[in-house]
Amino acid sequence: MSAVAAEPAVTDRPTGVRLRDVRKTFSRRRRPGRPALDGVSLDVEPGEFLCLLGPSGCGKSTLLNILAGFTRADSGEVLVGGEPVTGPGHERGVLFQTPNLFPWLTTWQNVLYGPKARGALTPRVREEAAELLETVGLADARDAYPHELSGGMRHRAAFARVLINRPGVLLMDEPFGALDAITRANMQRFLLELWQRHRTTIVFVTHDVEEAALLGDRVAVLSAPPGGTKAVIDIDLPRPRSYEDTDTLAFVNAKRGIREVLER
Amino acid sequence: MTTTAEHADAAVAAVPGGARPRRRSWRRLGTGAGALALALAIWEVAALVIGDAVTLPTVTETADTFATYLTKPYPEVQGKTLLEDALISTGRILAGFLLGTAAGLLLGAAMAGVRVVRELADPIIGVMRPLPPIAFIPLLVVWFGIGETSKIALIFFGVLPIVTVATLGALDAVPPDLLNASRSLGASPFHTMLHVRLRAAVPGVITGMRIAMGGAWTAIIAAEMIAATGGVGFLILQAGNYLQTPLIFSGIAEIAVLGFAFDGLLRLLLRLADPTVRR
Repeated sequence: MSAVAAEPAVTDRPTGVRLRDVRKTFSRRRRPGRPALDGVSLDVEPGEFLCLLGPSGCGKSTLLNILAGFTRADSGEVLVGGEPVTGPGHERGVLFQTPNLFPWLTTWQNVLYGPKARGALTPRVREEAAELLETVGLADARDAYPHELSGGMRHRAAFARVLINRPGVLLMDEPFGALDAITRANMQRFLLELWQRHRTTIVFVTHDVEEAALLGDRVAVLSAPPGGTKAVIDIDLPRPRSYEDTDTLAFVNAKRGIREVLER
Repeated sequence: MTTTAEHADAAVAAVPGGARPRRRSWRRLGTGAGALALALAIWEVAALVIGDAVTLPTVTETADTFATYLTKPYPEVQGKTLLEDALISTGRILAGFLLGTAAGLLLGAAMAGVRVVRELADPIIGVMRPLPPIAFIPLLVVWFGIGETSKIALIFFGVLPIVTVATLGALDAVPPDLLNASRSLGASPFHTMLHVRLRAAVPGVITGMRIAMGGAWTAIIAAEMIAATGGVGFLILQAGNYLQTPLIFSGIAEIAVLGFAFDGLLRLLLRLADPTVRR
């Protein structure tokens, strides 16, 4: 647990994810429950960027919540790094649609929240937190409170807060969905650069075809509710990618490929 | 390590403080003092026009009376000074308010955490909350006499439902994802409960305490007018019986100062607890 400090700087050990026939039904009073996930099977390689794409209500957020350990699957196998998921843990970093920073803590205190709560706060971790704030461009906003930050800055602070734990996998639930188009493009650019330097496993939920094609190595398309895996599409665009790639013909073709599966 | 996000929205400087907000707060303080001075000036002019100290004494007359009776007892036989009355009322408020707040916090937290407690307490609080506490004064006098117990009990039963509802509402309003975020950052359920759920509810609880404090002053003044031998309410009633209008105003001014001071303390507490209200 507190092996964090013993490791050299910024080496992530990406972990794989394995889902087998995962089912989840939300029970309702006196009525038969609504199945949200109907047997999802999926593998994510260590260091892979996988996008979960599907119409709203298809259970992609439910799937992510199961991986994060916030909800439990009714049946099926959920393994992260070979270990069954039994609850939330810091080795699986979660980024939500809203940054969910603690409003009573400064940026700096927010970033150190995880190590402090686990009793793993060492001078080395503090150094690393300072480096991380530099990386996400918030070194000047270290003592600012969340309400004093812009939308994009809050998201980057949330990134730093998760990355200080060196998670083996990042779970992201439409993290840029609530941002305006310009900030959103900036955040996508930021995430691409970050991930291309520190390869960690990412499971990224989105309903935006363009976002999925730009970011993902593979795109898993979920079917309309109850959700099941409809198809898994390889995105053959070369790495490193940049935001400017969205103008190329190859990118447009990749997008069309995804959309065809989505509308099938 | 290079900065990946330097081009993002780095232009939005997030350094708090600086010279401008401070100057603005001084200006606001000046405007507030000016408004008070204006109100006093209007009062003075109106008093001079009316020219009858029983209907409306001048500001200077009131200030004189206030200064005199601050250390001189009224009524002269068995009476108390303005200072003593203020201390008596403040003591009653503090005792009832602290007990009521503590009980309200416990009850609110229990209702938020345990479903049975919520289902049991909800209707009782629902019936109690709209009741004006002063309706209970005769009953409390019958039960506890005209001593301190009945006053403290009155404040207690006035404060309790307000703080309970505020605590419950604040705890219910904590977004579940804030708790999930804490858990997935590695905090234990207990740590999350203490440092996130309860912490996030603090500003809402303090706001409830401010509302309860206002109600507590209403209740205590009424109780002191009906059944008491001391306190600011008792003083005002006595002064009214003898047409001592300057003294009535002195008592009212005393309540204003005390009420402002207590609300100021709670506002300070809120500022400490909630960075978003610091301006």
